[in-house]
Amino acid sequence: MQEFLQHTLNGLSIGSIYALLALGYTMVYGILGMINFAHSEIYMMGAFGAFYTARFLNLDTPSVLNFAIGLLGAVSFAAIVGFLVEKFAYKPLRKSPKMNVLITAIGVSILFQYGGQIIFGADPKSFPALIEDKNLFSLFDSPIHLTDLLIYFVSFASLGILSFIIFKTQTGRAMRAVSTRPDMTPLMGISNNKIISATFVIGSALAGVAAVLVSIKYPKIDPMMGVRIGMASFVAAVFGGIGSLHGAVVGGFLLGLGETYLIGYGASTYKDAFSFVILIIVLLYKPTGLFGQTRKEKI
Amino acid sequence: MKKYLVFLVLVISLGVVLNSFLNSYIQAIFISFIVNAIMALSLNFITGLADQFSLGHAGLMAIGAYTSAVLNKEFFSDQWMLIPLGVLAGGLLAAVAGYLVSLPSFRLKGDYIAIVTLGLAEIVRVLLLNWKHVGGPRGYNAITKFPDFWYAYGFAIFLLFVTFMTMHRLKVSWFGRNLWAINEDDIAAEVMGLEIAKTKRYAFTISSFFAGIGGGFYSHHLGYISPGSFGFIISVQILIIAVLGGLGSLSGSIMAAAILTFLPELLRSVQAGSLDLRMIIYPILLILMMILRPQGLFGRKEIFEYVPKKIRAKLGMHR
Repeated sequence: MQEFLQHTLNGLSIGSIYALLALGYTMVYGILGMINFAHSEIYMMGAFGAFYTARFLNLDTPSVLNFAIGLLGAVSFAAIVGFLVEKFAYKPLRKSPKMNVLITAIGVSILFQYGGQIIFGADPKSFPALIEDKNLFSLFDSPIHLTDLLIYFVSFASLGILSFIIFKTQTGRAMRAVSTRPDMTPLMGISNNKIISATFVIGSALAGVAAVLVSIKYPKIDPMMGVRIGMASFVAAVFGGIGSLHGAVVGGFLLGLGETYLIGYGASTYKDAFSFVILIIVLLYKPTGLFGQTRKEKI
Repeated sequence: MKKYLVFLVLVISLGVVLNSFLNSYIQAIFISFIVNAIMALSLNFITGLADQFSLGHAGLMAIGAYTSAVLNKEFFSDQWMLIPLGVLAGGLLAAVAGYLVSLPSFRLKGDYIAIVTLGLAEIVRVLLLNWKHVGGPRGYNAITKFPDFWYAYGFAIFLLFVTFMTMHRLKVSWFGRNLWAINEDDIAAEVMGLEIAKTKRYAFTISSFFAGIGGGFYSHHLGYISPGSFGFIISVQILIIAVLGGLGSLSGSIMAAAILTFLPELLRSVQAGSLDLRMIIYPILLILMMILRPQGLFGRKEIFEYVPKKIRAKLGMHR
């Protein structure tokens, strides 16, 4: 029971990170219909953003304030990178076939991975301790770490902010409109390009949050850190139904829990393949995912 | 018949030049060029003609490579005479894997095949890492190698020829036209009575078969394979070759394979330290090409379609 609870807590924390990243994939897919392969690299850039923020501001004592500053650094850096990627790589291709955009996305992703190895160095860097990891209390004999609680808290807060933006503000309404009928929105006075930029910025900011949360739990960062977690999060987005925000969150949590149980009860060497096995099963039996809807195409 | 005779003479004279005047380093690069060309053709068939984006060709290649290597070493007791049989088996197994993967992938519109093939490559890699009998992460050693240059060269050219001709014939056949129709407008194609998912499935299976062939040959060429030799980056490299040559242009793929195999070797001397500059140049090339010349070097056309009609007729090339 104690072991099970421990795995569940771990699964929830990795699941909330998958959820944050899956939201970025699902938002871009919903609005542009493309898989943003560079999203995992934006996540990586977020981690390095926090790393360099902490380094230049000499944030070496763990405290809540330093954590908040690091988080801010990561979020703003990731958002800027996401904005620039959209502006320089995807925007010129708005009218070209989807295949070209996908190939460009792959190119951007590899460029960041290997360019990162040149700029940041290929060896893993140890992430500064922005917050002290201590046991707060025990629940059924399993210790509750401060980092885990922080991960739950920050990711739920981000989800709250996101759903406020999407469902309560003008920008969010415009985003939903663009994802439904991009041909009609300009007639309503919405600038599609601005809304698409906003989507990338918000999605990238979430990736930045996820990056800091992962880095305080596993404090080793390197330019290839986004590859595996990015793929898993994409699978989470498909699992939940790509294009659906709620689906991305639910898919993220389910995948995180499943993966942690798999590692916890042996078979950890098969961890990398697990998410893809899930993906293939989902596509076989419920190709639209849990919350996805099939849109009837009108000609 | 004349053009095949010309081709044969060219191939043999090139072989003589390679064998007698150039060292084994250049010979090995030439053979790798042919492997790259086969892989790029295989990818081009599914990505260029059928417009289905595959990111897992390295996984299919790995299936072919390991099948052929294990068959030859464990069951054929290192007989180099039987290498072609192993390579064929590798191709068949890759085709089976490709067919299985294509079953769930084409049920929905969208780019699911990209991510499913990526998953296939990852699953294959993880299984190989955990398969202790073939060395796991250390790799599989001492695979039956080709006895001499002529065997390797002849077999490679033969495979490339068969791959190219099969695909070209398919491209200009009704099947190729079906693929083209799906590529242009899948709704219209469906209205005309085409079974879209089925056609795509067949195309992917054929593509997988040749990817397996390429992998099988590769394992005997190098004599050593490891799960690391079939990483994501290999899929990307194959993709770059196909895109550079022009998606849909089969001869363009061969041309691009030549450029992208020989050029990095020439640039090897200017390489900076331990860093692999290719991995910086490739993605920049890819992005710039997508923005500036998305159709690649030759677009959908074959190289010989750029040759004036009169000359083509003289050489007996009707198509």
